[in-house]
Amino acid sequence: MPGRRAWSWRPGPAVVSLFVGGAAVLVVFYPIFYLIQASLSVGDPQARPPEAYGLANFVDLTRYAQIFWNTILVSVVATVFAILLGFVLGWILSRANVPGREALEPLMALPYYVTPLMGALAWSLIGSPSGGFLNQVWRALGGEGHLIDITTPYGIAWVMALFEGSVAFVMIGAVLKSMDPALEEASQMLGAGRLRTMLKITLPLVLPGVLGAAIFVLAEMLGSFSAALVLGLPNRFYVVTTAMYQLVSQYPPRFPQAAAMGVSLFAVMFAMVWIYRRIVSRGSYVTITGKAFRPRAMDVGRLRWALLAVCLVYLFIAVLLPVLTLLYASLQRLATAFPRLDNFTLANYTTALSLDAVRSALANSLILGVATAGLGVLLMGFLSWLIYRSRLPGAGAIEYVLMFPQAVPRLVFAFGMLWAWLVFPLPIYGTLWLLLIAYLTVFLPLGIRTISGVMLQIDRTLEESAQMCGASWGYRLRTVTMPLLRPGLIAAALLLFIASVRELGASILLMGPKAKVITPAIVESWFSTSTEQTAAMALLQTLAVALALILLFAVAKRATQPAGE
Amino acid sequence: MFPAPNHCPVSRRRFLEAGIALAAWPLLGHPTRVLAQAPAKTTKVLDFTTGADVAKAEQEGEVVYYGHDGEAAIAALLEAFRKDFPKIKTNYVRLQTGALYAKITAERSANRYLVDVLQLSDISPAIDFQKKGGYESYLSPEYASYKPAYLSTPAGAFAWVGVTFAGISYNRSKVKPEQAPKAWKDILNPAFKDGISAKLATSGMQHAQWYMLRKLYGNDFWQEFAKQRPRGFDARAQLFDRLAKGDDRVCALAEYGGYTLFKDKGADIEFVAPPDGLPATPAILGVVNRAPHPEAAKLFMDWAVSNRGQSVYQNTPLLLYGSLRNDAPPMLTGKKLSDFKLLFPSDWADFQASHAAFVKEWNGIMGL
Repeated sequence: MPGRRAWSWRPGPAVVSLFVGGAAVLVVFYPIFYLIQASLSVGDPQARPPEAYGLANFVDLTRYAQIFWNTILVSVVATVFAILLGFVLGWILSRANVPGREALEPLMALPYYVTPLMGALAWSLIGSPSGGFLNQVWRALGGEGHLIDITTPYGIAWVMALFEGSVAFVMIGAVLKSMDPALEEASQMLGAGRLRTMLKITLPLVLPGVLGAAIFVLAEMLGSFSAALVLGLPNRFYVVTTAMYQLVSQYPPRFPQAAAMGVSLFAVMFAMVWIYRRIVSRGSYVTITGKAFRPRAMDVGRLRWALLAVCLVYLFIAVLLPVLTLLYASLQRLATAFPRLDNFTLANYTTALSLDAVRSALANSLILGVATAGLGVLLMGFLSWLIYRSRLPGAGAIEYVLMFPQAVPRLVFAFGMLWAWLVFPLPIYGTLWLLLIAYLTVFLPLGIRTISGVMLQIDRTLEESAQMCGASWGYRLRTVTMPLLRPGLIAAALLLFIASVRELGASILLMGPKAKVITPAIVESWFSTSTEQTAAMALLQTLAVALALILLFAVAKRATQPAGE
Repeated sequence: MFPAPNHCPVSRRRFLEAGIALAAWPLLGHPTRVLAQAPAKTTKVLDFTTGADVAKAEQEGEVVYYGHDGEAAIAALLEAFRKDFPKIKTNYVRLQTGALYAKITAERSANRYLVDVLQLSDISPAIDFQKKGGYESYLSPEYASYKPAYLSTPAGAFAWVGVTFAGISYNRSKVKPEQAPKAWKDILNPAFKDGISAKLATSGMQHAQWYMLRKLYGNDFWQEFAKQRPRGFDARAQLFDRLAKGDDRVCALAEYGGYTLFKDKGADIEFVAPPDGLPATPAILGVVNRAPHPEAAKLFMDWAVSNRGQSVYQNTPLLLYGSLRNDAPPMLTGKKLSDFKLLFPSDWADFQASHAAFVKEWNGIMGL
C-alpha cells in the first residue's frame, strides 16, 4: 500500500500555484509587452514591430496636461461619491433593520446592471443644458437658461458614480455581510451610539473591503469611457480615454501616443496597490473565526424609515428615472419633453429587432457573460487564495501584475491584445475565444478584489485547524475556504457576468465578423443613428440581461441557502 | 509591408493585356479608361455585369465586408446584396475609418486575411492601402459607367462608390431669420459662439471641408472658426441629433444625408447650400487582395457599383450617398448630384499630403 501511495501523484499547492499563477501572469504580460513596445515606438506609428525606439511619446504627454487633470478630477470626485454611496447603502442593507431589506438588496445593485452608456444617454436626455427634458420643463415654467447642466465635470462624475461606481455597493456589501454582528453589538452594549459604532467598529473592520473597492472604483473611473464620451464631448471636455479613442480613430492612428497615455497610468495603479497592501498588512481585519455567527441586522428604531427613504431615492435617481426617460425617448421619433401624438412611434424597436447582427451580438454577449462568470470565479478565487493565503514566495508580486489590466483603459489594453493574439500561433483571433480570454484578463482585478475582500476576513486558523486534522490542501480549499468564501464568490460571479455583458473598450477592437457583442453595437448606434434608436437598443439589452440575471439570482439564492433550509 | 498577392501571377494573357493597354495609351487619351481593361469573361447577372464567376462565388458562400458606415446602414446594404444572392452569407466589421484601417493593417502584417471588401470614408488611407499593395487589382465591368476620375489611379484598386457632401444647417427655432447663415463665412458669426458644431479629425468629410474652404478663404479662416469654440462629434447623426434638439444652433458640417434623415423625422432644421459650393468626399470601395472569398468579393464589388447597388447607396436613408454613375437616377429627395455645386480637391496628392496638418490644426480647434 505505501508503494501505491507513492505512485498516486497529486500536484501540491506550489505546483498548481506556479502553473495557474504563471499562466495568469503570462496572459497579462503578453499584451502589455506589445503595449509598452508601442509606447516606445518613435518611427512610423503604424509599423509593427516599431522602426525605432525612444521616449518622445512620453515627453509629448505634457501637451495633454489638461486632459490628465480632467481625468483625475472626474475620477476622484466620482470615486468619493461612489464609495460614500456604496458604504452607506451597503451598511443600511446589511446592518440595519430597514423594511423590505430582502427585496431592496438586489434592486440596489441594479444601476450596475444598467450599462454606463445607457445611464449617460438617459442623463443626457434629462440634463443637457438646452435639450434636456428637465431644463425644457424649467423653461416652460418660466425659468431662464438651465436648471442643471449634466455636461460639466461634476455632472459627468455624478453619472460615472451612479453607473460605474455602483460596483462599490456590491463589493462593500459582500464584506459587510461576512462580518460577525457580535462585534457591533458588543460596542453598543458598552454604550457607543449607532454612528460611533459604525465609524469605530464597522468601518475599520471592513476597511480592506472598502479600500479594495475604492482602488477598484478609482481605476474603473480612470478608464471610464461612455459617460465622458456622451457627456464630455458636447462640452469639449476630454479625459484620457476619450482622448485616446480620438487618437486611435484618426488616420493615421496614433497608437504610440495612446499607448504612452495608457502606460503612464500604470504608475498611478502601482501606487494604489502599494498603499492598499501597506494598509492591509498592518492590521488584522479578521471577522470570521471558528466561532459560529449568523448575520443579523441591528434595530435602528424609527431611523429605519429615513434609511428606507435614502434607498428609495437612490433607486429612483439611478434606475427608475433613467429607464423611464429612455423608454419615453425610445417611443418618439424625435425626443422632446412634451408629448405629441404624431411624434410617437414603435419604429425604433422594430428597426432594432430587425437587425440580425444585434440579435446574434446579444446572444454572444450572454454566452460570454456566463462563461466569464463561471471560469472567472474559479480562476480568480484560486488566485486570491494564492495571493493572500498560500504563503508562496512571489505571491505579492503576482498581485501587482494581475492589477495591471485595471491600470490600463481597456481600449488601449485591447490594442495590446490585438497585436499579441494576432501573432499567436493558435487561430483564435476574430473568434469568441479571444473575447473570452480578453474578458478573463481585463476582469482579473474585479474578481480578485471582490473575492479577496472577503478572504481577508477569514481567520487563517480555520484552514490551519483543518491542516492539523490531516486535510490535504485541496481538501481544505474545497471544504473550508470555498464555503466560507461563498458570498464573495457569488458576488464576484454576478459582477463578472454583468461586467462582461456591458464591456465596451476591449470588445470594440477584438470583435470579429462572426464574433460580435452587443455594447459596441449600441455605442455604434449612438454614433450613426439617433438617441431614440439607441435608447431602444439599450433597453432591449437591459431586458435580456435582466432575464438572464433573474435566472442567475435564483441559482445564487439556492447556492447561499444553508443546508436544510 | 504587405505580402505580395500570390494567387494572381502575371500570366501571358495579363502580360498581353498590359501591352495592348500601353500601346493604346496615346490613342485613348485616358490611361485609366477601364473599357480597354475589362475582365476577359463577363457575365450578365440580374441587371448588371460581373467579371466574377457567380457559381464559384456562391460556392464560396460568404462575403466579409469591413466598413465605416453605421451598423444599421451596413446591415441594410448587405441585406440588399443577400436578397439578390441568397446563397452568399454576409458578415461585417464596423469601425471608424482610422480604427478600421488600423485593424486591417495589423491583421495583414500578421498574415491574417479575414476580409473581402473594404469601404473607407477617407481617400487618404485608401491611397496608403493601395501603395502598400492591399487591394486586389480588379476592373469591374461596371466601371464603364464611371468617369476615370472616380476610380483609383491606376484603375482597379478602388472606386468611388458614392459621394457625401456638406453645407450648413441650423435650427430654425434657435436662430433668428436675420441671422440665418447663407454663406460659409457666416459660420464665423459671433452669435453662434458656443452653439456651433462640426466633426472631429476622424472624419474624411471634415478633412475635405477644411481643405476646400482653406483654399477658398485662406489659412486664417479656420483660426477664426476656432474662436467660436465649436463642439466636435464623430458622426453626422450625432450632429443632427443635437441640432434637432436645440443643443446646437448651427451645424458647420451639415451632410445632406444627415439633414434629410432628421428633416423626415420632423426636426425644425434648415439646410443651406452656400453659393461657393459644397465640399464633397467619396466613400471608397475596393476588393482586398488575398480575400478569403475572392469571387464573392468581386461579385459584391460589381453589384455595389452597378445601378442595383447604387440605388441602395442612394435611397437608404442611413446611407444616402450620391451616385457618380453616368446614368445615375435622382436621389431619394428627387435631386441629382449635378443639382449641387460640389467642391472636390483638384490635386489628390496635395490633399493627401495635407492630412497631417489638418489633424494637428483640427485637434487644436476642437480642444483636443
